[in-house]
Amino acid sequence: MPFFEQLAGNLVYGAILGSVYGLSTMGLSLIFGVLRIVNVGHGPFIMLGAFTAFWMFTLFGIAPVASISVALVLGLALGFVIFFAVIRRLINAPELSTLLATFAIGIFLEEVAKFIWGPDHRGYSWDIGNIDLGITLIPYSKILAFVSSIVIAYLLYMWFQKTKLGAAVRAVVEDSEGAAACGINVGRIYALSFAIGIGLTVASGVLVTLFVPVGINPYMGHEYTLKAFVIAVLGGLASPWGAFYAGFIFGLIENGSYTLLGTIPGVEPFSLTRFVAFSLLLVILLIKPTGLLGGESK
Amino acid sequence: MTLYDKYASLIPVLLIYAVLFAIGISFPGMWQPVAFIMFYITLGQAFNIFLGLTGYVDFGYVAFLALGAYGMAIAVDSLGGANLGYGIILVGLILAILMASILSVAVGAVALRLRGAYFAIATIGVNEGFRYFVEGARLWGGSEGIIISGDMRNIFGRETANLISTFVSDILVFIIAILAAIMTILIMNRRMGYALMAVREDEDAAKVMGINVTKYKVMAFITSASFAGLIGASAWTLKMTYVFPSDVFLITYTVEAIVIVMLGGAGTLLGPVIGGLIYGILKYYLSITLPGFQLLILAPLLIVIVVAFPDGVVGAVRRKVTGSARKYLR
Repeated sequence: MPFFEQLAGNLVYGAILGSVYGLSTMGLSLIFGVLRIVNVGHGPFIMLGAFTAFWMFTLFGIAPVASISVALVLGLALGFVIFFAVIRRLINAPELSTLLATFAIGIFLEEVAKFIWGPDHRGYSWDIGNIDLGITLIPYSKILAFVSSIVIAYLLYMWFQKTKLGAAVRAVVEDSEGAAACGINVGRIYALSFAIGIGLTVASGVLVTLFVPVGINPYMGHEYTLKAFVIAVLGGLASPWGAFYAGFIFGLIENGSYTLLGTIPGVEPFSLTRFVAFSLLLVILLIKPTGLLGGESK
Repeated sequence: MTLYDKYASLIPVLLIYAVLFAIGISFPGMWQPVAFIMFYITLGQAFNIFLGLTGYVDFGYVAFLALGAYGMAIAVDSLGGANLGYGIILVGLILAILMASILSVAVGAVALRLRGAYFAIATIGVNEGFRYFVEGARLWGGSEGIIISGDMRNIFGRETANLISTFVSDILVFIIAILAAIMTILIMNRRMGYALMAVREDEDAAKVMGINVTKYKVMAFITSASFAGLIGASAWTLKMTYVFPSDVFLITYTVEAIVIVMLGGAGTLLGPVIGGLIYGILKYYLSITLPGFQLLILAPLLIVIVVAFPDGVVGAVRRKVTGSARKYLR
């Protein structure tokens, strides 16, 4: 049965892609969980990571997996700058303000990127061979991305669970006033969490480049903002771990429905797959806004 | 408040429209910039009815503009041979309102149960989802869109078709702007306006006071969406004579509408007019002097407004003004 073979192959690919989706959404969920701010300009940070990987590779020949640390540091620095320049002033402002501000930051990053690098698509190929799974060929580069995502997510998890600072972040998520009463500098935790969230997002952009068939450009982030929303909502919006698992689910759903929709004549499966994703988003928001994987509401 | 006090704020708005119109028709070469500015004023007026009065951000607002554009295109495209003359434009406008308001009812029923961030996320999902549905299911020509320039020439003849695209469509935008202003002040002076003000301040308290919060939110949403549909039909389809999904679902229009409303002052009648005026003039001359840099300049502007002047120009001026002049600045 070639159809089932194709479906199985696409699902394997979906799980691998899903790990990167999960990683790319963790920053969004972390920022929402700690600061109660939805970073509507999420995608452009992924774009910055993608350009980091591109330039590190084309200028210095550094493999994308090694660029992750560069992107992480870059993202952390950027996160701190944005926090102290803009976000800090909006902590107690109405939700409208933070939505508009993060949105504007995202557009600003895109436009700066377009100004510097131009609007065209760029790409690089990092070919280190394939592994034959019997049903499909998977490039080693993608396997490495898969492993890196899991390692980063695990390291973050350990940092949260085992360090004092991680515990402080968890305390602020639980109850920021209570945490402040216990002597935790909540403002500093906000800054740190925002920076880590942005750092993670930029770092995930490096891995995203291994999955974009048409190359990268300044506006590529848009698509990932939307996917990240679907994934974050799927995972409960406020939980980075929920987001990581939801990334896998989303990858499977996306690739599975693409294969199924491809069998219907007269439609464009690529666009319809996205339609399916957004319908999923609305359905989850309606029936279980706290996410399929549990998690707190509000 | 006397009746005059209640509607006094309409005077500066209509005055600005009249001045713009006068400039446009009396000076050669000025009609185009005036129409350009007027488009943004009207867009701000329409969006303000929802964003300004309720305090909810709809990041998918452009979908209503797009549906209006499709409404007009479908009317001209499918009824082009029916010999309706100018009636076809009327049919198109009605279809535009109908399609935009049907979508707004559907979206409102789903998304307006959600608040704040969840609502914002849902609206982005609707806009993108709808666009991909049009492209993916090959609805209304799919990604190839609908082109009506040929139909327009067949119905009206070359010269009249030209006039419609360069003049009549702009006049329609003026009319929509006047209607939107009147609608805004009517809402503000009625129970609905006070109810929405209560929602904006504290939705839970409003609910406890017995206000049917959802009803008024949905009403504002549908009104705002219908105006967006009208703008899409006249300022997009009649002017450009084509509709492509990749153009009409562009999120840029939503951003522009947000910037205009926030710049002028959300929830005020005069705000979007002032915001549209400033933004329109700025963008018109920027697109001549620095083409392609509008968003690069706009985005920091929006950040500055949000951080430093959350009440916008009209809100800031109003706080300084005392006495009888205040009634003109609602």
